Amino acid sequence: MNGPISQVVSFIIERNPTVGTLTWDDDLIDGRAIDSLAFVDFIFLLEELGGAPIDPEGIDVDDFRTLRLINQRFLSGR
Amino acid sequence: MAVTTLEPIGLGLERLEAMAEAGYYNPYTTFSWPDTLPTDAPWMSEDLVTLAGTEEWDRMPRADQLALTRWEAIHFFSLNVHGIRDLLGEVVLRIHTPTYADTAEFMHHFLGEENEHMWFFSRFCLRYGGKIYPAQPSIGVQATDGLGEAAHELLVFARILLFEEIVDHFNSRMAGDDSLPPIARELNRVHHLDESRHVAFGRLMFTALLNQVRATRPADIPIVAGYLNSYLDYSIRSLYSPAVYRDAGLAQPLALRRHLLSHPARRAAHDRMLVRTRKFLARSGLQAAGTQPGQGAPT
Repeated sequence: MNGPISQVVSFIIERNPTVGTLTWDDDLIDGRAIDSLAFVDFIFLLEELGGAPIDPEGIDVDDFRTLRLINQRFLSGR
Repeated sequence: MAVTTLEPIGLGLERLEAMAEAGYYNPYTTFSWPDTLPTDAPWMSEDLVTLAGTEEWDRMPRADQLALTRWEAIHFFSLNVHGIRDLLGEVVLRIHTPTYADTAEFMHHFLGEENEHMWFFSRFCLRYGGKIYPAQPSIGVQATDGLGEAAHELLVFARILLFEEIVDHFNSRMAGDDSLPPIARELNRVHHLDESRHVAFGRLMFTALLNQVRATRPADIPIVAGYLNSYLDYSIRSLYSPAVYRDAGLAQPLALRRHLLSHPARRAAHDRMLVRTRKFLARSGLQAAGTQPGQGAPT
């Protein structure tokens, strides 16, 4: 994977080295790749990479379920 | 009611109960709330803002420094509001259940006082800041799924205790800071007094539940220790808010947050905030590794 999504992958692996290799469609939530303690910094990373603020009160967990969804929802066109 | 594997908790809380009764005050009539607060004085102690000790702080015009203290005060009290809501929910779920029956009398004081703290913190935010900053987003997934019941209960009360101890670092400093508006100083002072009892209760509960983990599932202890270390890291990070920096007119708030979290002066400040809690965890046999935000602490 190239571009901003590679930084997303690096963030996940740095926080959770046991996660192994991630594919576009792995379930990051059910797979425990991201947990609640890491989620706030994850949001800030996506804001920085995507260039747009994310409303913390309007978050839908399903938007963060896979790398493909994250790329489409927050990093599109980058 | 669900079957529990926990032994009933007995903590001998009579002294704390008597102190709570003797120190009771009516928060709705105790404080004097001015319509506005002065903008030529800090609302949060200057050595507690998240830029304190950095070159960025030193370079800021005085008016911008004061604006930052205002938004950091609103944010700190907002964190209190959200933290209290979470802990109230957890304690309400446990009061008068068989495991915690012996602690119910103190839990009533605890719930009442925390409800009142949430009221006065939210009032400060809404009256002087016009808002409460949103709660940190959560996805409801913990890295501790699969722990035994005693460890799960220990983490519930440990999160409450660690939150209260970090907050008290701020309260105790601001309670004696004469540069603050009287209402800001007074809320911190009162909160500090009440929290001293809550921290004492929390430490007793923590130790009792840790003993049950040791007796039933000692293999859970390293997982608990790792989680609490990550929770301290998370708690420190939550103090650094891009929304605050945006409101205070600071440029590139996300990059600023990253920079601050790894700044040597801020890391020293984090150590000061956590010194008491880390000592307690070490004495309890849960040695925190002492990682700092920015060092990639494990989740």
